Amino acid sequence: MRDAYVVGAGQSDFGSFPGESYRSLFRTAFEHTLEGTAVEPGDVDEAIVGTLGVGGRQLGLPGPAVTEHVGLHGVPTTRVENACAASGYAVRQGVQAIRSGMADLVLAGGVEVMTDVSAEAVRYWLGVSGETEWERLSGTTFAGVYAQMASAHMREHGTTVDQLSHVAVKNHANGAKNPHAQLGFECSLADASAAPTVADPLTLYHCCPTTDGAATVLLASEDAIDRFTDARVRVAGVGAGSDRVGLFQRDTYSGVPAARRAAGTAYDRAGAGPGDLDFAEVHDCFAIAELMAYEDIGLCERGEAGQYIASGATRPDGETAVNTSGGLKSKGHPIGATGAGQVVEAFDQLTGAAGDRQLDAPEVGLTHNVGGSGGAAVVHLFERDHDWADVSDGEVVA
Amino acid sequence: MSDLAISAVGAYAPRLRIDADAFAEAWGTFEASGIDHKAVPEADEDALTMAAAAGRRALDAAGLDGDALASLSLATTTPPLAEEELVVRLGSVLDAPGTASHEQFTASTRAGTRALVAALETERAPTLVVAADCPRADPPDEREHAAGAGAAALLLTAEGGATVTARGRYATPRPGERFRAGGDDRVQGLGVTSYDRAAFHDALAGAATDAGVDDPDVSAAAVQAPDGKRPYRATGALGVASETIHASATVQDLGDTGAASVPLSLARALADGHDRVLAAAYGSGAGADVLLLERTGEVATDLALDGAVDLSYPEYLRRRGDLDGEEPEGGGAYVSVPTWRRSLPQRHRLVAGRCPDCDALAFPPEGACTDCGALGDYADVRLPGGGTVEAITRIGRGGSPPEFAAQQVQSGAFGVAIVAFDGPEGGTVSAPAQVTDHDPETDGDLSVGDRVEAVARRIYTQEGVTRYGFKIRPADD
Repeated sequence: MRDAYVVGAGQSDFGSFPGESYRSLFRTAFEHTLEGTAVEPGDVDEAIVGTLGVGGRQLGLPGPAVTEHVGLHGVPTTRVENACAASGYAVRQGVQAIRSGMADLVLAGGVEVMTDVSAEAVRYWLGVSGETEWERLSGTTFAGVYAQMASAHMREHGTTVDQLSHVAVKNHANGAKNPHAQLGFECSLADASAAPTVADPLTLYHCCPTTDGAATVLLASEDAIDRFTDARVRVAGVGAGSDRVGLFQRDTYSGVPAARRAAGTAYDRAGAGPGDLDFAEVHDCFAIAELMAYEDIGLCERGEAGQYIASGATRPDGETAVNTSGGLKSKGHPIGATGAGQVVEAFDQLTGAAGDRQLDAPEVGLTHNVGGSGGAAVVHLFERDHDWADVSDGEVVA
Repeated sequence: MSDLAISAVGAYAPRLRIDADAFAEAWGTFEASGIDHKAVPEADEDALTMAAAAGRRALDAAGLDGDALASLSLATTTPPLAEEELVVRLGSVLDAPGTASHEQFTASTRAGTRALVAALETERAPTLVVAADCPRADPPDEREHAAGAGAAALLLTAEGGATVTARGRYATPRPGERFRAGGDDRVQGLGVTSYDRAAFHDALAGAATDAGVDDPDVSAAAVQAPDGKRPYRATGALGVASETIHASATVQDLGDTGAASVPLSLARALADGHDRVLAAAYGSGAGADVLLLERTGEVATDLALDGAVDLSYPEYLRRRGDLDGEEPEGGGAYVSVPTWRRSLPQRHRLVAGRCPDCDALAFPPEGACTDCGALGDYADVRLPGGGTVEAITRIGRGGSPPEFAAQQVQSGAFGVAIVAFDGPEGGTVSAPAQVTDHDPETDGDLSVGDRVEAVARRIYTQEGVTRYGFKIRPADD
């Protein structure tokens, strides 16, 4: 099976942009993705677009609506919907297209506009990926479901509110260095723990914002990569998994089995393990989600994530840097764009393009993207195959 | 005279209370003297949910399953819908068979005794007569000051219990004493004191005469109580002393419970062991029923009429707000009424499934078994309703799906839990449920590991259709 490589990856700013449309945001991401590559729009064989469709703006055929807008005329385009994991799955599908031999160059990405609907109406949409008939109609949106997971994690493992707050403190510190971040400011542990409660025990600082944004990734086959770039960021492993959409039907409430399964598969395919990671971008839609991610991708044992973050192990200077981009918490969470956005950070880190957030010559990074409260999850491992000596000023020149 | 006897009674009142002082503080005066406290429905309660709570208690007290009922009657002046038989949904919650007679009585505060008399005349057994009411009026109106809430259920069977040994009725035209216009949810009256008192007296006296009980020799008299004073004006008409009326009165604790007033007092009299009880119901218009009951056997009782939380007047006004709040346009998630209806066995009666392959419980009983993965046909299993909290959060205003926005305006934050419901023969099965009748400030925290019980409540209203289902509350034990 031939390998797939990331040719380029780019994103729009994440935030609230009344002057932008889902198409214009996608265009910005696409243009950033082309930068530093030799790709012409006519080179693209296939496009896969992840979006949930918050607000209902283009529920049918949102894929061609954005790819035709950026000049990918006639390119086969598919829309992928897996809630917040939509574009993580789009990237996975792009890898499949390349490995199968059907395509040599694939555009995979996602877009979402969430801030142009009324505060009342957005609440309709925030819960649409929860289990509708029972979970939603017991009165919860996502914050409530993740808060229930937090209650179980706290009961089983003694996790504390301050440990949840460490997620916010770390990710805001990282996001403050990311020019694309929606909430690029720092916060203190006291700020985070004392903030108003959204869904007990989660405070406002334990929850990500609603966001407009787009992110795209170009993937090429090993046969074609030379034509487009000198960078060698290899897709070393891909894993995915599903689970019951409603939390109440899962085997555990204090972890995400689909993500655990996805990570296991990705590690197996890559022939790697958590100890090989230099960094990870994990799906921290709520603070408890980042802690569960540590356990699900194997950075620490089950139940130990609270102590693990408090130890500083996931800071940029720690054992495994997590969410150097600021994560969903600080960078923002435009549902359909989030998974591809994580790949943008991984690509930037592995090509020396992460600016003030740049880690020291990282070799392996992981992205962890979860749909809903764990009904779908996808994990990618990316490996740097180029020489770090060839990296200069955010570009790879062999 | 009918052979049927009351063999079990159940009663329910909301746990919320407001006292006379709170009204006096707000209005300068309390217009319903003789009432110390009155019951106030929670935002998710109405005549149907209260009827379900009382009916469930009567059936449980008798040890009878709802599917054994031959007849079910609902009496209320405050049906949440003016047209559409809510007794059918009551039957669904109580598991009454579709072939049982389902009757609904309304438009009069004597609807409860009319339902009882009709059941006695029909002679179907067992039959459950449930009266539930939560009248309303304009805020300054003395009828609103008096307006309470409660429900009582009387189970009639062929043997044992209390039998009706005399009964009478009387009608006499007295327009304007108390009425509610079509399309309005608030009662009013002209307030002509002497005329009103005469209407009450004359109707009851006529019914007592018709029953032939001018000297009933009873130890308790359940008398219609539109306020705290009126029942005691019927001593002469009924030939009973004030103390006899007071012996089973509920108005001082619950307020005016409308069609449930006399059934509630009757339930209290039977629960307190009275052997000869007079029941005297009045409805404006005017009409009255008088019944003499004599105990010849055991009457099983289960009354839950205690208050637990005192409201301030502003909190009371919030609860009285319009339940049908505006929902925003542009919904992403939507459950159609036909889809909701398919889940009624689960919503109304907690019907789970047992996997034919591995015996694990499933909820809802559809799709592949969450335990063994088999895609078989589940056997219906009725969950008893008790359970243990496995995960829980509390949703503040603004944090709920919009379906619950109107409820939050009335009653604020609510808990949402995942509950491991007990199976009937061991094992558990998990389901999400909203928490009701629980306020951490007055009741303490509800946490993982705590015991809860299911109750039927309003879930939400959409497209004008109220969807009823189970919520959970802290367990009584």
